[in-house]
Amino acid sequence: MKFNYSPAPNYRSALSTKRIMLELLLGLLVVYAFSLYYYATHFGTPYLMQALIIMAVSVGSCVLTEVVWALANKKNVISYLTGSFPWITGVILALMMPISIHWYAVAISAVLCILFGKLVFGGFGQNIFNPAAVGRAVIFAAFTGLTTADIVTSATPTTVMASTYSWCVTDASMVSALLDSVGGLQNLLFGFYPGALGETSALLILIVGVVLAIRKVIDWRVPVVYIGSVFVLTSVMALYKGMGMWYPVYHILTGGLFFGAVFMATDPVTTPTSAAGRVIYALGCAILTVLIRVKANLPEGVLYSILIMNACSPMIERVCDCEQIKGLKTSLITFACVAVLGLGSGVLAIHAVEPAKKPEPKPEPKPVTVNKDSKFVQDFKATVNGSTDNGDGSITYAISCEGYAVMDHDGEPNELEITVKDSAVVSVKVVKAMDTEYIGDRITDADFREQFVGLTLEDLEVEALSGATISSSSVLKAVMTALEQ
Amino acid sequence: MSLFKGPMRTHLNGHKDLTEHGEVVSLNPSKVSIPLFAGADTNPEILVNVGDEVKVGTKIAQFSSRFVIPVFSSVSGKVEAIEDQLHQSLKKVKHVVIASDGKFTKESNPTIDYEKASKEELVDFMMNAGIIGCGGAGFPSYVKYKFAKDVEKLIINAVECEPYITSDYKTVELHFDEMLLGIKAMQKMCEPKEVLIAIKKSHPELIQFVNEKLNGEKDIRCVSVPDVYPMGWERTLVYELTKKRYDKLPAEVGCVVNNATTAYMFGKAMTTGEPIVSRMLTVSGDGVKEPKNVEVPVGTSFHEVVEACGGYTGEDMVVCFGGPMMGGTVTTDAVSVERQNNALTVLKKQAIDEVACLRCGSCSDHCPSGLQPVRINQAAKLKDNERLGKLRVDKCIECGMCTYVCPSKIAVTENVRRAKRAYMMANAKK
Ligand code: SF4
Ligand code: SF4
Repeated sequence: MKFNYSPAPNYRSALSTKRIMLELLLGLLVVYAFSLYYYATHFGTPYLMQALIIMAVSVGSCVLTEVVWALANKKNVISYLTGSFPWITGVILALMMPISIHWYAVAISAVLCILFGKLVFGGFGQNIFNPAAVGRAVIFAAFTGLTTADIVTSATPTTVMASTYSWCVTDASMVSALLDSVGGLQNLLFGFYPGALGETSALLILIVGVVLAIRKVIDWRVPVVYIGSVFVLTSVMALYKGMGMWYPVYHILTGGLFFGAVFMATDPVTTPTSAAGRVIYALGCAILTVLIRVKANLPEGVLYSILIMNACSPMIERVCDCEQIKGLKTSLITFACVAVLGLGSGVLAIHAVEPAKKPEPKPEPKPVTVNKDSKFVQDFKATVNGSTDNGDGSITYAISCEGYAVMDHDGEPNELEITVKDSAVVSVKVVKAMDTEYIGDRITDADFREQFVGLTLEDLEVEALSGATISSSSVLKAVMTALEQ
Repeated sequence: MSLFKGPMRTHLNGHKDLTEHGEVVSLNPSKVSIPLFAGADTNPEILVNVGDEVKVGTKIAQFSSRFVIPVFSSVSGKVEAIEDQLHQSLKKVKHVVIASDGKFTKESNPTIDYEKASKEELVDFMMNAGIIGCGGAGFPSYVKYKFAKDVEKLIINAVECEPYITSDYKTVELHFDEMLLGIKAMQKMCEPKEVLIAIKKSHPELIQFVNEKLNGEKDIRCVSVPDVYPMGWERTLVYELTKKRYDKLPAEVGCVVNNATTAYMFGKAMTTGEPIVSRMLTVSGDGVKEPKNVEVPVGTSFHEVVEACGGYTGEDMVVCFGGPMMGGTVTTDAVSVERQNNALTVLKKQAIDEVACLRCGSCSDHCPSGLQPVRINQAAKLKDNERLGKLRVDKCIECGMCTYVCPSKIAVTENVRRAKRAYMMANAKK
C-alpha cells in the first residue's frame, strides 16, 4: 500500500493546453478550408495547388526547424514537439500569406520565425513576439518581390484603400466606386476577394472565434475590445470628416483585422495574463492599427500593431501587478487615459489627411473590331461539316473553324452551328469552344454572339472580345463561311 | 465575468451523488487517539493521567494561551497512553490514547437554556463546550460572537463547495432541530437583522426540506447560492449575499458566518451538555470501495474509517483529510480524525502531464482572492520579494483553484504556497 504525499489540490479540470491547441488548430483549418474553396472555385486548380503548397511548406518548415533544434539540444523530439506546438505557428503563418508568394519565401520566413520568434527566447511560453507575426514581417521586409510567376491576383481591398484613397474618402461617387471595386461591404464580410489566404472572410472568422471563445480556447476580451475599439475610433474619424458609417465597417472588415484579433492578438504567450492587462493591450492594438493605416498609410496595420503591443506586454503586465479587486480602479483609469489619447491622436491623424481626389477620367480605349478583312479571318480555315433545312426558310450550318488553339499548339478547331435566313444571320451557337479557358472560350458569351444576329455578308463587323481578338475572328470566319453558302 | 476581472470562481464536478443519499454508518472503534492540536498553540494543559477512567465528554486537555479551546474524550474507557504520534499536519503531536469500553457512558456536562441565558453566558458556554468551526478551519467560534456588534446578517454556511463532501448536508437533514436551536442561540448572541441558511442551488430537495422546516420562523430563511467553487469560503459567500467586499473580517460588512455543523454541535451541547465528541465524516472518492457518510468518534484512525467503507480500491493512493481542493494529504492512514475534519477523500494516484505555462491567465481569472498566481510564480522564480508584496502573495488562501484550472497542469498552488512562505519568512526577518 502506498500513500502518496501530494500537496493540495488533488483535483484538476479537464481542460488541457494540448486540447486548447488542438481546438485552435481545428478553428484555423476551418478558415483554411474556406480559402481553398474560394481559390478552387474562383481561380481554378493551379491556385488551389498553390494554396496547398504554401500550407505544406509553412507547417513543414516550422516543424522541421523545431525537430532540428530538439535534436541539437538532445531532447526527446516527440515530447518536445507535443509541448511546443510548432504547427500552430505554421498554420497561422500560411494563412497570412498572399496566394502569389513563392514557396521559397514561405520556407525561409517559417524557419526564421520559429528560430528567432520563438526558440532563441527559450521556446514555447517564453517568446515575447508572436512568432507568426515575426514571420510575416520578415516577408514584408525582404521578400515582397518574390512571387510565383503564373499566380496573379488583383489588389486587396486594403491596398486599394491605402494606395488609391489614402484611407479618407468623402466624395459620394468615389465612395460608391470604391465599394463597387471590392464588391460591396457584404462581400468584404463574406470574404470572396483576394487577400492573404485566411484573412478574408470576416464572417467565418467571427463564427469560429465565438466558438473558440465559448470553449475557452481564446480570451473573448481581446477580439471584442480590439475590433470594438477600431470601430469606435474610426466612427469618430468618419464623423469628423463627414464620411458615412461605411468607413468604420470597411476598417474592421479589411486588412485581416478579424484574423489578427481572433487568432494573433489572442496568442496567450505574447499578451498580458490578467484581464485588465489584456483589455489595455487590445485597446493599444486597436489604436495603433488605425494610426498605422491612416497616418503611415500602410495596409499592414494589424500585423505591426500586434508586434508593437507584444513588445509592450511586459510593461502592461507590471502595471497590472496587484490584487485585482483593489487594482480595478487603476486599470479603469489607465484604460480611459489610453482611450482618450487614442481618440485624440486618431482625430489629429485623420485631420491631416487630404480626402482622395477624383482621378482625371481616362479616355475610354477604342474597342477592337473584327471584319472580313481582319488578318486572322483571312488566315483561318473553316469547313462546313453539314447543313440542315429547318423548313421555315432558314438553314443551319455545322461549321468547324480554326482558332487560337490551332494556331498556338495545333489544338482542335472551334465548332459552331450558324443559322441563316434570307442571307442574314439568325443565330450563332457555339458547340465546342476549344480556345483558352476563361479567355478564348468567352466566345460562348451571349453578348458576344448576339452581335451577329441580323448581319449580312456586306456589313459583317463585330466588336472583338477584349483580350480574345483571335478567338473572335474565328467565330467571324465561321459566320462568313455560312453566309457565303 | 467582467471585462477587467475574471469570475473569481468556477463550477466543479462535485461527485456529491456518491454519498448524498446513502445511509449513515456509526463507528465504534476499540481505541481512539485524540490529538492535542490547535494550530499554532502547542502547549495544552493535560488534565488526565495514564490509567484514568474517562467518559464521553470528559475534558482531557485545554489550550488557553491564544484562545480557550478545551479537548474532550470521545469514548468511555481508560487512558492508555499519552504519546507523540503523527498528526495530519505531518508533524509529531501529543495524542491521548484511550481504550474504549464500547459503552459510551456519558459525562454529565452543564446544559443551558438559550431563552433564559444572557448573551455573555452563551458566549462563555460556547467557549467551554469547545465549539470550533466544523467546516475544516477549526477556528474557535465564540471569538466571532464575543465582539459582535451591528450585525446585519448571520450566515449559516451549508454550501459545502468542495467536491465529494456531503457531511453538512447530512447533518442538516438528520439533525435539523438541534441545528435550529443552535442557530437561534447564535441569533441571540449577535442580534442580526436576518439569518440566512445558504445551500447550493443544485440541491433542491434539501432546500425544500429546510424551507418546510422553517415554515413559521421569522427572520430565518434559506437562500440558494450558485453551484461554484469556492462558494463556501466566507469572502465569496458574503460577497454573493451582500455584494460587499471586506478587508479582513466579515464583521466589517456586518456579517457573521458559521458552518451548519457548528450550529448543530452548539445546539447539541446546549441540550445534552455533550461537546464535539463525534462527527459526520464523508468518506468518498474513487479510491474507496463504498463511499458513504460515517458518524465517527474524534480520534478514530483513518485506517479504521476506510475499512468501514469497504477498504481501498487500489495500492497507489492519495488520502486527503477534507476535500480534494484544500485537503492536505497524509503519508500513512494511521492518523486520527479531528473535530474539524468534514471528509476523508481517497483518490487513485493520477499521472500528470505537465507542459510549459501557456500564460493563459486562467489562474488569474479564477483566483477567488483576486491574485495573479502566474505572476506570483514568475516573481518567485526571480526571487523578487518586492513584487511578491505588490502581488499580495500573503492573501493567498491556498484554495487550490489555480492548480485546478491550469490547462498546463502546473502545480500552481504549491508554487504560490512556497512563495508565500518564503515571503512571510523574509518579511519576518526584517
Ligand atoms: S491557491 Fe491562492 S493564488 Fe491560487 S487561486 Fe487560491 S487564493 Fe489564488
Ligand atoms: S493557468 Fe497555468 S498555464 Fe495558465 S497562466 Fe496560470 S499557470 Fe500559466
